[in-house]
Order: sequence, then structure tokens, then C-alpha cells
Amino acid sequence: MGAVLKLEEVRHSRGGREVLAIDALELDAGERLTVLGPNGAGKTTLLRLLAGLEAPSAGHAELEGVRVAGADLDVRRRIGYATQRPGLLSTSVIRNVELPLRWRGLAQSVRREAALAALDRLHVAHLAERKALSLSGGEAQRVSLARALAVEPQLLLLDEPASGLDAQAHRAFFDDLEAALADRATTVVHVTHRAEEALRLADRIAVLIDGTIRQLGDPASVLREPADATVARLLAYDNVLSVEVDQQAQVLINGVPCGITSSLDPGPATLAAWAAAVRIKPQGAAPLRATVERVVQGPGHWHVTLAAIQPLHAYLPLGQTPPRVGESVDVRVDPAHASVIRHSPRVAHRRGAQSAPGASR
Amino acid sequence: MDGVHEVLGRSALVSLTATAIALMLGVPTGTWLALAHRRGRRVLATAVNTGMAVPTVVVGLVVALLLWRSGPLGDLELIYTLRGMILAQVLIAAPLIAGITMAGLQALPPDLPDQLRALGANTTQLVWRLWIEARVPLLAAAMAGFGHAISEVGSATIVGGNIHGQTQVMTTSIVENVGKGDFDDALLYAAILLALAFTINALLTSVQQRAAAWAQS
Repeated sequence: MGAVLKLEEVRHSRGGREVLAIDALELDAGERLTVLGPNGAGKTTLLRLLAGLEAPSAGHAELEGVRVAGADLDVRRRIGYATQRPGLLSTSVIRNVELPLRWRGLAQSVRREAALAALDRLHVAHLAERKALSLSGGEAQRVSLARALAVEPQLLLLDEPASGLDAQAHRAFFDDLEAALADRATTVVHVTHRAEEALRLADRIAVLIDGTIRQLGDPASVLREPADATVARLLAYDNVLSVEVDQQAQVLINGVPCGITSSLDPGPATLAAWAAAVRIKPQGAAPLRATVERVVQGPGHWHVTLAAIQPLHAYLPLGQTPPRVGESVDVRVDPAHASVIRHSPRVAHRRGAQSAPGASR
Repeated sequence: MDGVHEVLGRSALVSLTATAIALMLGVPTGTWLALAHRRGRRVLATAVNTGMAVPTVVVGLVVALLLWRSGPLGDLELIYTLRGMILAQVLIAAPLIAGITMAGLQALPPDLPDQLRALGANTTQLVWRLWIEARVPLLAAAMAGFGHAISEVGSATIVGGNIHGQTQVMTTSIVENVGKGDFDDALLYAAILLALAFTINALLTSVQQRAAAWAQS
């Protein structure tokens, strides 16, 4: 199946500053791409270019071979866009969902049926006659998504559609989104700064930093081998540390082996490790020594912050007695839940700027 | 002298016609000012805001000079006619309507126009939907425009000339009666003028508040 969506040599500037620079990006029909990036990375700008709301300063985005910028309304109407703010109108929920269908010239009975079906897919059909502006945040987000889906778009653009929802509502929203997309060949571009959204929805993840794609790949490979420390932090690695790889391939934290080996050439590197990978051992059980700085109870675990020149974060099961604050412990990193990343000068510079305790969190 | 009902009818005709024309000019202008990103937008916005503050007597003077028989538009023979008075009142009400329309549309969520475009609206559908969303301030614009038109006396006197049976309206009648010391008639006309303004504004306010309450409920 050929590429449905294509970006070629796209450059976009705002106020004299380049905010987006993507050399090439292609999506196949039905593929779901999550663009993961921090605030200000250019995610929303990318979606606006794909929606045809702005024309790129250079290059172009194509939907099935037709340039989106300046394209006929027919092309734009093949795209659905759910923005960060629901943007509901001061009318009933059902009329909100029907409106894009009415603009497309569908008959009243057809659009009513399609709107109700879309609301039902998002489990908000019971709200159909409610005033849209009286809905809660979570309900409004679902209605907004139903409105984007009701037109059966060929390309669906999602701009952090569950932002502002609490954890439980957020999970439920993505459950319903996945279910709504499950039986459709809709191509999806979803942007977010939350790694967990990217990991559960995407076929591929593009990590966008400072307007450029820093890494592109399937979720498992991006998670296993983040391109650099910035990407690792975006992926919510709890520990992103400056390390050394020695001649014996051992990874050294503060010059001390931490229990991991690496195939990288000897020299500086970055270690990305989940808090669950950091094992706290009794004194004498491992070479790396640390002092317990803080112990707090998290959801289902103790969160232990350790000082070992660089701060380390470890999770212990709640059933286990946590160490006391101020206690000296030994630390070992489990290689199964950690990744050693090649050192890059730009990353090293940034890390230097963020080397204050706790900066890796 | 004309009967009250004739003067009242003339006032209503002039001001309602002027308000209708001013709405047709002011609402699109205010919409363009709220949505456009082109050069010249700020200059026009400043002109509109200035127009909201221009004394009606100055508008009357300018219109009279234009419509004067020896003036540039003298051939139209609009001086001392109802059509000339309507023209002057349009120039008084239109900037007010444009200014309130602009402010009303700018008070909507800034990303709403793009959201509507992203939902597939063409330009006409987009503007129409924005007007519906801004219906409360748009009705306020209509009320302000009508209120400004029916209450002004400066341009009505200068452009209309307060000719009995032809261009005399409620406000110019009040001025004339006060000048003659006939305060009973002046008060009667004032009360009727107030009642007219109240009735029309009550109608528009009712629509406006129902629209506001519907969106909020």
C-alpha cells in the first residue's frame, strides 16, 4: 500500500525563526503516527500544516498526491482535526457533531444517523440533546473527537485530545479512542508530550525536538534505544545519567561499575534507566554507593531518591521495607530495564545545563 | 405642524432604515477587522473606533457640505430629504456597529475560526457560524446603532432641515418646541420617543438575553 500522506522538505518559519524542518515523512494508509515532543517543539504547527490551515514556508505536505496547502475544500474535507481545546459551539451536542456533515451537504436524516453513531462510539450518545457548553471537560473532549470522526476522515489529526483530563478519564478516553479506530483504516497523526499516549496508540513514533525529527521508529525500538538523553527524558525514563564506558565495556556511574555492560566504544555515554531497574542492595553487595535522600510513597511503590553525585531514582515494592533517609546503600542497575546511549556533544551540553539535582526527573 | 404619529412614523422609518443599512455595512466591516491579518487592518480599526466618537453634529455638517446643491454630491438632490437624513444616520451608526462587531468576534476563542475551517467550513459557512456564536454582541451592536440613530439631533437638523411635513422627526421637534417655549409638546414628544426606543430595545434585549441564556443553560 502506498503512502497516503507525504511531507517533503517542509520548512516553516514564524517571526523570522524556523519552527519546523522536516526533510521527509511518509505515512501509509491506516497507519498511526504519534509525534512526541516537548511544549514548543512544533507539534501543533505540524498539524496545522497537515490540516491546510497554514502553508509551509517551503516544501509541501501531500494527501494522496494533492498538496494540502491551498487545496480545494474537497481535499481539506477528507481531514478530521480534533484540537487540544474542544472548540464546541453554543448549540446542542448533536448539532455540533452534525454541523461538519451539514457543511458537506449531507441530508438531515443521514447526518443525524452518522452523528449519533459517532457519539455512540465515544460513549456520549446520551448527551446528544445537552447544550454543548454545559459539558464537563472530559465529555467535551469526547464530543469533539466524535465530531472529527463523524465525517469518516481519511486522515485524522489529534492534538493532545485528552489534555486536561485526570488519569482515570485519560485512560478511559484512550480506551474509547482505540476502540473507535479499531475497525477503520483511518490514517492518524497524533501529537502529544506524554510518552504513555504515544506508546499505546502509535504504530510509529516520531520524536520532534526544536522542530526537527530527532528519532523515528516503532514504539518498542524507540523505547529500547532512545536516540539521546533528551529523547530518553521525553520517554519518561526516570534516570538519565552521564556515564562512562570503560575499556572492559563496563558502564561506570561516577567512575564506579553499575552492573551494566555496553557494546559502545569506550568513552562518555548516557544511561537511561527506569526507576524499577535501580536495585537497592545492602552495603557491600555492589560497588556503587549512594545515600538515601528521600523516600515517598507512590502508587504501588516506594519512590526512593538516592544521591550518588548524580541523583538516582528507584522504586521498591510497597511490601518491602524502604531504607531510611540518610542511610548508605549500594546500588546496581538491572540491564534489562536500562539503555546505554551513544554520547552526543549537543546532549552533553544540555545535560551540563541540567545537572542540578533532580533535573533528570 | 405635523401630527405626532406622522413625526413618529418618520423617525422610525429614518432610524430603522439607517440601522438596517448600517448593519449591512458595519457587521461585514467589523467581521473583516476581527478576522483579517492584512495590512491596513489596524488603520481601518482606528478609523472605526474614531468614528464611534465623532459628534453627530460634525457628521451632519460633513454630509450637508457633500449634499449641498453646489457640493460634490449636489446633483443627487438629497439635502433636506429623508434619504439624506438616512445617509447621515448610516454614517453615525455604522462605525458603532462595526466596532462592537469587531470586539464581539474578537472575544470568541481565538482559535475558533481555524477550528471551523478544520471542520470543513467554507468562508460563508465560517462567517455565518461566527455570527451565530457572537449573536449576543451583534444584537448589542444593532441596539446601539438604532439607539444612536434615533436619539441624534445634530445631523437630523443640519441635513434634514426640520421641514414640517417632510423631514421633521421626533428629536428635531423636541428642539423646536423647546425653542418656542412649548414644554408640554416637547415633553410629550420626548416621552413618545423614549417609548419607541424602549419598545424596540426591549424586543432586541429579549432576543439577546434568550440567546445568551440558551447557550449557558
